[in-house]
Amino acid sequence: MSINEKPLISRRAALRQACCGFGMLGLTGLLSQLSGAEPPNPLVPRPPHFPARAKRVIFLFMHGGPSSVDTFDHKPGLAKYDGKPLPFKRPLTFAEGKVGGLMKSPWEFRPYGQSGIEVSDLFPHIGSCIDDICTLRSVVGDSVAHGGASLQLHTGSNTFTRPAMGSWTLYGLGSENQNLPGFITIKPTLAHGGAKNWSSAFLPTPYQGTALGNAGLRARDLAEPIENLVSNVTPDFQRFELDMLQKMNRRHALAGEYDPELEGRIQAFELAFRMQTIAPEALDIGKESDATKKLYGLDREETYDFGWQCLLARRFAERGVRFIQCTHSTGKVQWDQHTELFRIHTSNAREVDLPIAGLLKDLKARGMLKDTLVLWGGEFGRTPVAQEGDGRDHNPYGYTMWMAGGGVKGGFTYGATDEFGYYAVEDRMHLHDLHATILHLMGLDHTKLTYPYSGRNFRLTDVAGNVAHKILA
Amino acid sequence: MFFGKVATLAAVGVVSAAAQTLSPADFFETKVRPVLAASCSVCHNPKLKTAGLDLSSATGFRQGSPSGPLVSKEEPERSKLLEVLRYQGAVKMPPTGKLPDQQIADIAAWVKLGAPWPDTAASVIDPKKSGQHEFTAEERAFWSFQPVKDYAIPTVKNGAWPKGPIDHFILAKLEEKGLKPAPPSDKLALLRRATFDLTGLPPTPREIDDFLSDPSPDAFASVVDRLLSSPRYGERWGRHWLDVARYADSTGADEDVRYPYAWRYRDYVIDAFNRDLPYNQFLIEQLAGDLLPAERPGEVNRRGIVGTGFLAVGLKLLAEQDKPKMVYDMVDEQLDATSRAFLGLTVTCARCHDHKFDPIPTRDYYSLASIFASTKSLGKIEPITSELYFAPLVPKDVYERYERHQERIKNKDREIEHVVTTEATAFTAGLAPRLAEYMIAAFDYERRPRKDESAGNFAASRKLDGSILQRWIDYLRSSDDVRPHLEPWAHAIRQGAPAVRDSAELYQKEFQKTLANWRQKIDEWGQKMAEAAAQRKALPDKPQFQAGDNRFFSEVALCVTPDTLEKQPTTCGPFALLPSAENELFSQASREKLRELRAARDDLKKSSPPEPDMACGVAEGTPVEQHVFIRGNPSNPADAVPKQFLQIIAGEHQTPITQGSGRLELAKWLADPKNPLTARVMVNRIWQYHFGEGLVRTPNNLGKLGERPTHPELLDYLAKRFIEDGWSIKKMHRLLMLSSAYQMSSRITKEQIDGDPTNRLFSRFNRRRLDVEEIRDGLLAIDGSIDLTTGGTLQTGFGTDGENSQARLSMDPSTSKRRTVYLPLRRSNLPSLLNLFDFGDATTPSEGRVSTNVAPQALFMMNSKFIADRSRQLARKLEAAEPSDRGRIVYAYEWLLDRKPSEQEIQELLEYVRSARKIAAQSPGLNWTAWQSLCRILISSNEFIYVN
Repeated sequence: MSINEKPLISRRAALRQACCGFGMLGLTGLLSQLSGAEPPNPLVPRPPHFPARAKRVIFLFMHGGPSSVDTFDHKPGLAKYDGKPLPFKRPLTFAEGKVGGLMKSPWEFRPYGQSGIEVSDLFPHIGSCIDDICTLRSVVGDSVAHGGASLQLHTGSNTFTRPAMGSWTLYGLGSENQNLPGFITIKPTLAHGGAKNWSSAFLPTPYQGTALGNAGLRARDLAEPIENLVSNVTPDFQRFELDMLQKMNRRHALAGEYDPELEGRIQAFELAFRMQTIAPEALDIGKESDATKKLYGLDREETYDFGWQCLLARRFAERGVRFIQCTHSTGKVQWDQHTELFRIHTSNAREVDLPIAGLLKDLKARGMLKDTLVLWGGEFGRTPVAQEGDGRDHNPYGYTMWMAGGGVKGGFTYGATDEFGYYAVEDRMHLHDLHATILHLMGLDHTKLTYPYSGRNFRLTDVAGNVAHKILA
Repeated sequence: MFFGKVATLAAVGVVSAAAQTLSPADFFETKVRPVLAASCSVCHNPKLKTAGLDLSSATGFRQGSPSGPLVSKEEPERSKLLEVLRYQGAVKMPPTGKLPDQQIADIAAWVKLGAPWPDTAASVIDPKKSGQHEFTAEERAFWSFQPVKDYAIPTVKNGAWPKGPIDHFILAKLEEKGLKPAPPSDKLALLRRATFDLTGLPPTPREIDDFLSDPSPDAFASVVDRLLSSPRYGERWGRHWLDVARYADSTGADEDVRYPYAWRYRDYVIDAFNRDLPYNQFLIEQLAGDLLPAERPGEVNRRGIVGTGFLAVGLKLLAEQDKPKMVYDMVDEQLDATSRAFLGLTVTCARCHDHKFDPIPTRDYYSLASIFASTKSLGKIEPITSELYFAPLVPKDVYERYERHQERIKNKDREIEHVVTTEATAFTAGLAPRLAEYMIAAFDYERRPRKDESAGNFAASRKLDGSILQRWIDYLRSSDDVRPHLEPWAHAIRQGAPAVRDSAELYQKEFQKTLANWRQKIDEWGQKMAEAAAQRKALPDKPQFQAGDNRFFSEVALCVTPDTLEKQPTTCGPFALLPSAENELFSQASREKLRELRAARDDLKKSSPPEPDMACGVAEGTPVEQHVFIRGNPSNPADAVPKQFLQIIAGEHQTPITQGSGRLELAKWLADPKNPLTARVMVNRIWQYHFGEGLVRTPNNLGKLGERPTHPELLDYLAKRFIEDGWSIKKMHRLLMLSSAYQMSSRITKEQIDGDPTNRLFSRFNRRRLDVEEIRDGLLAIDGSIDLTTGGTLQTGFGTDGENSQARLSMDPSTSKRRTVYLPLRRSNLPSLLNLFDFGDATTPSEGRVSTNVAPQALFMMNSKFIADRSRQLARKLEAAEPSDRGRIVYAYEWLLDRKPSEQEIQELLEYVRSARKIAAQSPGLNWTAWQSLCRILISSNEFIYVN
């Protein structure tokens, strides 16, 4: 049965009874005694609408907005007209004042791989993977400010609180590992919507993202990335304590028969007990080989943090987590270079270039790239014109994100911007289209993945979205 | 080009069929206007008028562009508009990419028809040009729009069960289905139920004893009265309302700016429940309290202004750059909260089109929106992050006196800054001629033969300042950062000494040029200051140096924070004046001037009137003439609409509001006893919080897609009673809680599962899990560590914080012992404890908490510090209260589960404690005792966390 035929969880009545959580495993017998309208475990894996190309997503979010014309979208026109005014009217921008003329990229571009796609010197390692990458050069969003843009990238709406795309995929497909959260966001930013970017909004709580630390903390300082996993007593003592608790709970549940919630909570404690050993194992990178650690840049200070995030992402992917996000966001300025583009983009790129290439190579070597969709990009790109002398402003009118693996064409370029990289002019890909395409790759029809709330059916793609069929391998 | 033409022609063929079947006006509205709206009028609107062209209205379109008409009547195919859209000439539009061929063909067909553009946009919004919406008979007959009816109290067979009319309504339905109500709950369970229900806390052992030993038939009624008069009641039920009011202490969404005075609204809500403020008054104050007369002349209506916090504390995107969108998103948010909270309708579905399910035309949406658009909710609209509006809680003149005084203080600060900046630039100017020397010295020092020679000595040998040279050395020393402006220098170093000298000279020349410009700006600022001072105007702010224009200069000559000497800069360049240098380096005159200015400023600060109390509230704004916005887009205005209420309820012939924002009129219309929704919506909420489910199970939606009432007659009976009882919420609590329905057992039987599986007939009481506040507050109360201070704020500061600063997190609940309702909520990052236990996200009116049951909640019970702390504290309390193991077990049960343990339970736990002691004794380093373990078990138990 496909999920659009019968909503798995019907509105409020089910919400109230969404006792299930993780805890309904093995309760089908009890459930069948009831009216039959009980929802199954909301995280149980479900078949997609049609065969999926990608089973999971790793989203590498470059918070702040990396400049496309300095990374993956080479514009010789900028060098030619360096310093000249933009020959057409500038659209609504973030910082209206302080804007200068066109500014050439301070980086050289060179072709990589068989495909010969050009990448700037900011990303030599990612460049070396270009034949596995599908650049999307015509992404378009509706907001010129970080808050709206980030929310739209993550949830589809730049105005309202809506479920994150990770929540939608979990709602549509469930999770393949009941002992780990199905949607994990590693070191997310606290800014620009914060938790609204991984919230399940009106979808039930089990679909919300689980945050591991936040961008304001260094990886090495995250003593307990998942809260409450570490017991203050020995496993034996804990089991002993738990046995007594469960004995009491069972007796109590007998008195409250026909109430599956009580039994559900008993099961939740058993699952929690198991998670204590399984989740820390997933988080423990100690057993990875030195070669692997080096591949992700864990041997170097500047690449340690993002390398750790990428390596964890691979470990979660291996364990069947549905949606994993790694956010690159520093304590101060992220990829938001209104000034000092050269200095700060350089140091940002140094932190992520090697780890991202390491992730792509590692996934490929393990045979996982074919069904893992890696998505890279920011909430917008940056203007071809200068701001405050040596920076660039926000540009949501045409910017580059890229995908790799998960059934998209490698060494492929989709869409194009104008001569200067301001507007998308070819195969325009609105964020709704990006979301439609991601869901399509996961085997979900974005028009059918709906949830009833506040009097109507909601979708990740609102009332829009077209799948970019040209990029499918 | 050739292919393009073929495609276009082919597409025209398709269109002419559509153009024949639709009237020209409809063809325009369905095929052309949406394209113009979506693809053209973003730039070509009356405000931006890019290229002098406005494509958002008929008038604008007919005016055409300064270079000529857009369409040619004679040769439509050669119209300028089509040339541009087809990318055939020099101008290609839209710049975001050519429109799909179908759309171009549609527009071409329309141009061929003579480009008809009806003057009003009414047709797309409303087929009736009069602006009146024609409702169908079915829409008019919808249940929730009917007046509240007076139903006869039904007769029942089991006359002994009902305690009052409510029970008649409940029992009649049960008997219809051949079902019996559940037996009465036992006294203990009832007390625990009522106490958590009304106060969010468990009963104390004393309260249990009192109730059990009170044999009078009114014992429970006295309990209800006692609980309703406790200040804890307002904290619990105020929180329910705060859920509906989507309360939080920051804007959320983008910049998450603090609402520094939102807490006053929170305290107001708690107080309103405690004092049983009539609900109609409560409603009016929350929408228009600022417009109510003050209690005493010469004052403002303080409570009313604070009440309007309801409108003020919603989710906002203050950094939205599309300013009209920002304003109307906020209006939409306020209208959404108002209509769902008070009317139980989803009015905002009609922002872009007529409501698809309820009889709410788009015109009605904008009629209501005009009320909030005429209300002041924002302060200054800034280029980047706009300001919030804060409402003074003092009369206007008092507030303005205070503001003027603050401006005078600010002016003194600007004067101080001017003196300091003048000295700083003079200092830099004095050193500038020796810049090359310093750079060369720094180069030479790095290559000095005697490695132990200090920079001070080295500088002295060249008659340079030692500390300044040291700063140059540090500045020029290579770092990991790439600095393009220092690339020429690095290049020169690689080439050797002669190149270094040339390079240093070049740097100096460039530096002096920039400095001269900068000094000129500072001088001009000084002149403007003098002029402004002469005219007694506010003094201008210091000019900003755009660092990116000359990064070398900004790094060398300036400090990163404003270079007044009172704000500590983060970094200062080698030629910048250090804050510590004032006494040594400032001229005598400057020092004296500063002394004077500072003294004057300090005097001003001392003589300042007291800072007035402020609120996050709203005020009257400039009344707008509201137009319908086509598809919700403010740059696409259509017909003007009158300021009035929903026509399906208030009728098609209303007298529009012409004075002020209309908020007070709206509030009074909502609070009118004749409004069919207001009382129903509120009694349904009260019922829901008591019984777990409402009589309508979608409390924010009593429209078509909402659920129908399970007991419509009872709902109306309660609504009527509510109004007759003066909208008293406390009287409603008594009415509901003293019914047999409220006092039923929650035990589910086989008959009930078969006959009433989801308890829609209320055949039993709904067992419920404690919510997060009850878990946290209840445990803190039981172990005695709760701090019951009321009111005030635990949030400090204004504005927002660094983007990944930990200060953006909500306050950690474990750092306070106050009740949870008083913990401030940063909307973007709510406490993880609240997320874990289904608090909701505080962005839209809540329908009531959901209750999930997931493993991470179990992990919280097993491993969290909070639960370990509570167990420890409770164990300590047990050990202090009672020496015997048996006695302690009895106490633990009484405190946590509000009952005495059975003999079997006592025996089991005695055995448990013995074994736990043994294990603990064998585990050195185990910092956990048998009693702590036992307390954690009881805290984690289903019996504790569920209320029967």
